[in-house]
Formats: sequence, structure tokens, C-alpha cells
Amino acid sequence: MGLAHGLSLALIAAALALLPTLPLNDFHLQILFTIGVNYLAAAGLNVLVGYAGQKSLGHAGLFAVGAYTAAIASVEWGISPWASLLLACGFGAVFGLVIALPSVRVSGPSLAMVTIGFGIVVEKIVTEWTDIFKGQAGLYGISAPSIGGRSFTNLHWVWFVGLLCILTHLMLRSLLRGRYGRAFLAVQMAEPAAQSVGISVSRYKTLAFVVSAVTCALAGAVVAQQNQYFNSDFITFNLSIFFLVVVIFGGSGSIYGPLLGSVVLTLLDAWLARWPALQHFSYGALLLFSLYLMPNGLAGALAALFRGRPKIFDRSQADAGVSVLAARPSAGDGSALLVVADLHKAYGGIVPVNHVGFTIGAGKVHALIGPNGAGKTTLLNLLSGHVAPDGGSIRFLGQELAGQPAHRVASLGIARTFQNLKLFGDLSALDNVLLGAHRHVGASFPAALLGLPASRRAEAQARADALALLADLGLGERAFEPARSLPYGLQRRLEIARALASRPKLLLLDEPAAGLNPQETHELGDVIKRIQAAGVTVLLIEHHMDLVMGISQHVLVLDYGALIAEGAPDAIRKDPRVIAAYLGADDDAATVAESVA
Amino acid sequence: MTAILQALASGLALGAIYGLIALGFNITYATTKTFNFGQGAFLVPGSLVGVSLLLLAAGKPHWGNLAPSEMTLLSYGLATLASVAIVGAIGIVLYYCAIKPFVGAGGLNWVLSTIGFGIILQNAALAVWGPASIAVPSPLGNEVWRIAGAGIRPQEVLIAAVAISVMVGLDIVIRKTRFGKALRAVAFNPQAAAIVGINVEKIVIIAFVISSSLAGLAGMLIAPITTASVFIGLGVALKAFSAAIVGGLTNPRGCMLGGFLLGLIEALVGLWRAEMREITIFLLIIIVLVLRPGGLLGARSVEKI
Repeated sequence: MGLAHGLSLALIAAALALLPTLPLNDFHLQILFTIGVNYLAAAGLNVLVGYAGQKSLGHAGLFAVGAYTAAIASVEWGISPWASLLLACGFGAVFGLVIALPSVRVSGPSLAMVTIGFGIVVEKIVTEWTDIFKGQAGLYGISAPSIGGRSFTNLHWVWFVGLLCILTHLMLRSLLRGRYGRAFLAVQMAEPAAQSVGISVSRYKTLAFVVSAVTCALAGAVVAQQNQYFNSDFITFNLSIFFLVVVIFGGSGSIYGPLLGSVVLTLLDAWLARWPALQHFSYGALLLFSLYLMPNGLAGALAALFRGRPKIFDRSQADAGVSVLAARPSAGDGSALLVVADLHKAYGGIVPVNHVGFTIGAGKVHALIGPNGAGKTTLLNLLSGHVAPDGGSIRFLGQELAGQPAHRVASLGIARTFQNLKLFGDLSALDNVLLGAHRHVGASFPAALLGLPASRRAEAQARADALALLADLGLGERAFEPARSLPYGLQRRLEIARALASRPKLLLLDEPAAGLNPQETHELGDVIKRIQAAGVTVLLIEHHMDLVMGISQHVLVLDYGALIAEGAPDAIRKDPRVIAAYLGADDDAATVAESVA
Repeated sequence: MTAILQALASGLALGAIYGLIALGFNITYATTKTFNFGQGAFLVPGSLVGVSLLLLAAGKPHWGNLAPSEMTLLSYGLATLASVAIVGAIGIVLYYCAIKPFVGAGGLNWVLSTIGFGIILQNAALAVWGPASIAVPSPLGNEVWRIAGAGIRPQEVLIAAVAISVMVGLDIVIRKTRFGKALRAVAFNPQAAAIVGINVEKIVIIAFVISSSLAGLAGMLIAPITTASVFIGLGVALKAFSAAIVGGLTNPRGCMLGGFLLGLIEALVGLWRAEMREITIFLLIIIVLVLRPGGLLGARSVEKI
């Protein structure tokens, strides 16, 4: 892939260099320029739409921000064209933050609405506020960049935009192939799971908005400078739709989608421009039928044609890494790791967690049992921060967790699995585990964007460690398969691997044996014992009593939201309150105790 | 004072139009989690087909200006029914072309496919009727009525009356009838609805027919105010979409409320500064959605973990 990528880039660069030898007129050069501009806008939007899974129907507003910054900086403030380009990107980033602020709070149609609203407000402001933006009359005499006093010809513009496109592509490629790309995808696929590995969903959505805003603003600035004129007619709702179409028709979520989309749509547009009626019809037909034939866009259709060889797992890849399970710390001393006091949560009249208090000792395996509907999962959600409590305190290593968001709890060292699996289904098992290790992959945003060696090294090390952990759990052969294609039992194990990869101090397992056959359940018991041996404290919710009694040192019993008993497994087995909770009161205690065991 | 009264009247009429179209968004969103993003284009045949029928009935070619004498309340009503039926039928085509292939697949493909369908529809209308607009008289006459000193256009009264009756009628149908119950069952859980013997696809198709018909009706009602043309749709449908989202896309009464609110705000802000209408409305919408992401009357969605 690396070689093919380098070759394609060299080919594109060579084609650009050879442009002067081709019999191209200004019309052709303008088309090439437009392809480049559309690519710039779409490449960033693809990060937002294809990776972070957000939508925007208002990016014309960000295009306007870039264009008007470049125009006003040049015409009114007399700033040099090069500096105005940078300024346009800066303003783009600021407005990306502005649109992200409301957008990260909403989803679905409401998100579409917020972005449409943003686009229209910008459109109306630049149309109506004529003192500054000159409305339809427009801003004239926008100065264009020049090198050594020579202003750009149309050919130079194509080269310049081509260069910007290649730089943008390289940076986004580097960014998306590492931890940032994975985190964006995680946010798209399963927000609660992303939070559970320490990813702040709103921060990554904001980042995606800002990235898309910067490239879109850059595209706008370049258009304003090349044109040397800009007016409010450029900024329409249709432009926002067009950018989105370039991304989705090209293939969202593929790094090459925006390129394919901008090339094909720009050419088609130019070719059909001679027959305006046909142009609109074909545009409509394209939207309507192309996605039917190519649900994943052009890039998706092409990828299906040229499917590469599947990656093969080989033991040596894992040998370079260290499995989390290989840690051999001094045995846990049983001191209080997590202290819960008076924890309370009510949904109207239903009180799944009713003033509960207990202590989790370091190094032990704790089990939380109770009949269905006792409030076990809600309690776990409170501990992991996925649900905010109404009252009470959760102290973890002396820090108060109550009311903290889930990603913050995760980053303090509490990992979890989910009763209803929440894997990142389309990602490989390896990527799932790498996401677990997300906050340990030491690559800063600038380093990842520029593909610096430090960021590459961190990525390679994380990859080796993840493969070692997968091999350790018997998932090595499956490392490159999509998580959703694994058999159910292995999916459950993969979720444990993902949680372990975050190197937690406390691991919360929500019914890890649900749906497993007896053999798999037995293996799970061994895995949990190894987790304990690696120094990780465990709290598991489980219904398989033989598993609970076999591996745990401390059992908590919840019924109707209240903690009715806790203690060693043997004591719990004989506790009359526990027996009553499971089987109803006033039964013969001896036979009942038998069946619980 | 009379200016405010006048603005209230036209705001109510406009709001009724928004509410009608918004209700259409609600019905299909509830049943399929999709709606027609190209709904604006459906207003176009709604008005133009009806007007052409009236012109043909008057012995003129299908394109031209309609004189007030060539229209009665009855003929306007019949033409409206005919164009509503035709636009409803287009809704079936929309469902099979643009919705069915993408429903349940997630992603934005249905957004683009419905926009594509709308573009085709609009350009087909352009080919038949051309770009110029047709002036349409109101069946109640173009004489302004004086009520408490305020001048109110009769068409505004007609719009409000028709739209409100249709809304009340639909509300009753959804809440009281067997069909309404089936519709709500499909909205709640299509699989479970299918298990108890509801023909889910039939309900969904009816939902799209209703949604499209409402857009067609809106087009015919608004034509005497805006004139009938190929380009009236987008702006109106965008506001109607905003109304649905602000009121709560999941709640039919929220959609109607959103429509009236938007119409009134638009008319009242227009009194102050006409150019600030859109800016005010869309800024307000963004603020409302930040505070209540599901809209004013919409349900808050909670993902179960």
C-alpha cells in the first residue's frame, strides 16, 4: 500500500509538471483548478462525515468564512495574500469551533438542522450586511499570491492548488491512519464504547468540525484570490449540498473518496454545462441512482473490485510487543480501591440503585449478583460514568468520580465491558484493541498530522502490544478480521481485550458469560484469574453461580436497588436473605441453598 | 397595532402552511426514520397541476395567467383535490425510487436520494411549465377584508381554515382510528408490528402518500399568495423542515406548533426588519435545539447501555 501510494503521488505530480506540454486552454485549466478546490473542501468534510459520522448541510458557510477573510484582509486591511491565506485557515478553525459548539450537543435530523441554520445565517449575513460584505455587488480587487513579483497565471494556479491538495491529502492520511482516525471511527460506531476507552466524544466531534472547517475555508480563500472577486451569490444552500454530494458520491470514509468525487463530479458538471436542462436532470439522477448501485460511493465500488490480499497474522508481529496480561505486580493488598457511599439513582418511581454503599478491595475479584431487574447494570453504569447518579459518592483512589463523564472515569483507570456487546463492528479486532489503548498511544495532534517519526514509533509500539495481547487471549489469528465477523464467544473475549488494553486498575465486566457455552464459560473463568494475576482488580456482574463462586473472593448482592448482603462466597451461599431474594421467602432453606450453589 | 394584527394574520397563514408540510415530515419520519429532503419540489406540481387544470377547464392552454372570473371556490376545490391526488401518487414513486432501497441502512444515502428525486421532479416541472411564474387569484377574491382596521387577505383565511381542519382531521385519524393505531405501532417498532399482522410496507407507503399530498395541498394553498412557479418550493420546505425539528420531529402536535411559531415569528420580525427574518429564525432554532435537542415537544432519546 505504501509503495502504491507513493507511486500514485509521483504520477499525479508528474502529470501536473507535464501540464504545460499539453494543449490545454484556460477553460481546461479552470476545470482542473475547480477539481482541486472541490477536493480541498471535500477532503476535510470527509473527516467529519465519513470518519466522525457527523453530518453538515452548512459548509457553504465555512467556505464563505475563508473567502471573505481572504477578500476583506486584502481589500480592506491590505494584508499580503500569503498571510491572508493563513488568516483564512485561522478564521476557518474559529468558525469550525463556533459551529461545533451547538452541533456536538445534537444528533440526527436536529444536527442537520443546526448546520443548515448555520449555513443560512452566514448566507444572509453576507448578503444583507452590505457595509462590510458588499452583498451581491461583491468585493473587487482581491490580490492574489505572487512569487518573486510575478503574479500567478492560470497554470500556476493549478499547480498551487495541486500542491495544496497533495499536502492536505498527506496530512489527513497521516492523521486518519493513526489513533485520531480510529477515535473518529469509534465515535461514529459506538459512542458509549468510545467513552469507555477514554475518548471524549464531544472533543473528537469538535476536532472533526474544525478540520473540515479549515480545509473548506482554505478552498474558499483560494477561490476568492484566483477570481480576484467574490460576492454573496457564491454562498448558497446548494453549495453546501454539493460539498456533501462530492463526499458521499465519492465514497465517505475512504481517504480517496473525496478525490474521486471531485474529479468525476467536476468533469461531469463541465461536460454537461452545454445542455443546462440535461445537466440538472443528470445531477438528480446521479444522486438518486448512484447510491443505489454503489452504496459506499465510487471508492467503495472500486475497493470491492480491487480487494487486496487479506493480512496474515504472524507470531513474530506479536513478539515485539508486551501483553498487558504479562504484568506480574506484587499481589494486591486488599486496600480500598473504590469506595461507594450512599449512591442513589431513580428513574421516576423506579429506584434501581437505592442508597448503596460498599468497598472494592484492590487485587480481588468481586462479583455483583442479584435477580433480573435488581439494578446491577445501572450500578455499573454509575461506576463507569455512563449514567450520572442523583446522589452519593464514588471515590476511586481518593478521587471523586460521581458526576464525572465516562471518558474521564476511563482515563483514571476504570475499564468496562457491556452486557449487550458494543464492539466497533466494522473495525478489525486489532483496531478494537488499539482503541482500548487509545490514551496510551503517545502521538500529539501536530505530530500525527505531520506524520513525525515519534508518532509513527508510538503507533508501531501500540500495534505490537495490541497484537501481543490478542495472541495472549487466543485471538491472534483473528486480529485482522472485522470484529463483527467473529463468533459470539470471541466477540465477548475481544471486548475484554479492548478493556484490558486501556491498562485499567479496575475492570468492570457486565455479564461476561452471557450466551457462552459451558466450555467457553470455563475458559472465561481462567481469563479472569489471569487478569487478577496481572494485578487488575475485577468487579463482575454474573448469573452463572458456579463461575461466581469459583473465581470471586467477595460477593455483593443487590435486590430492588438495595445491597442486601455482601461477604465471602461461602457465606453468601447460605445467607437466607439472598436465598429469599432469588427464590422467594419461606422456602426450605437447605434445598434452596443447594440450588443456588 | 393594525400592522401587528395584519402580521399576525399572515403569520398564522404562513405558519399553517409550514405546519402542514412539517406534519408530512413527522409521519414518514415516525414510520421509517426518513423523510423527503426534496419535499420543496413537491409543492411545485401541487400548485402548477391545479392551476393548469383550472386553465384547461377555462378553455386556455395549460400555461398562462388565470383570471379571477375563471375560478370559483368549487372549481378551486376540485382542482386542489386533483393535484393532491397526483402529488400523492408521486409519493408512491418517491418511496420505491428513493426510500425503499436505503431504509434502515443508516447513513446519509436517503438524504441524497430524496434530494435527487426532488431535483428531477423540479426539472420535469421546468420542462413542462417553464421558469416564469403564474399569477393565481384567490377563489375568495383578491379584495382585502377589513377586520378591526387591519387588512387581511381572504386567501390567508382560507389557508388557515383548510390547514387547521386538515391538521385536526389527521390528529384524530392518528389517535382514534384503526389505521392510526397501526401507524403508531409501525412507528414504535416495525418488527413487532409485522408480527401482529400489520402490513408494514403498506402503512409506510400510505405515510409517504400522506406526506406528499400535504406538500401538494400546501403548494395549491400558497399559490394565490406567492404565485405558482417552479421555484417556490425550496424556501417554504426549508422553513417547514425547521418547524418540524423545532417543534419535535417525533411529535405531530409539536410539528404543527413549530409551524405556527415559525410563521408568527417570521411575520413579526418582518415588521421590524424584513432582512433579519431568516437570521433571527435560524439563530433561534439553533438556540432551541442546543437547549432541547429533540425539539420543543419531541421525545428525548436515551440510548440503553
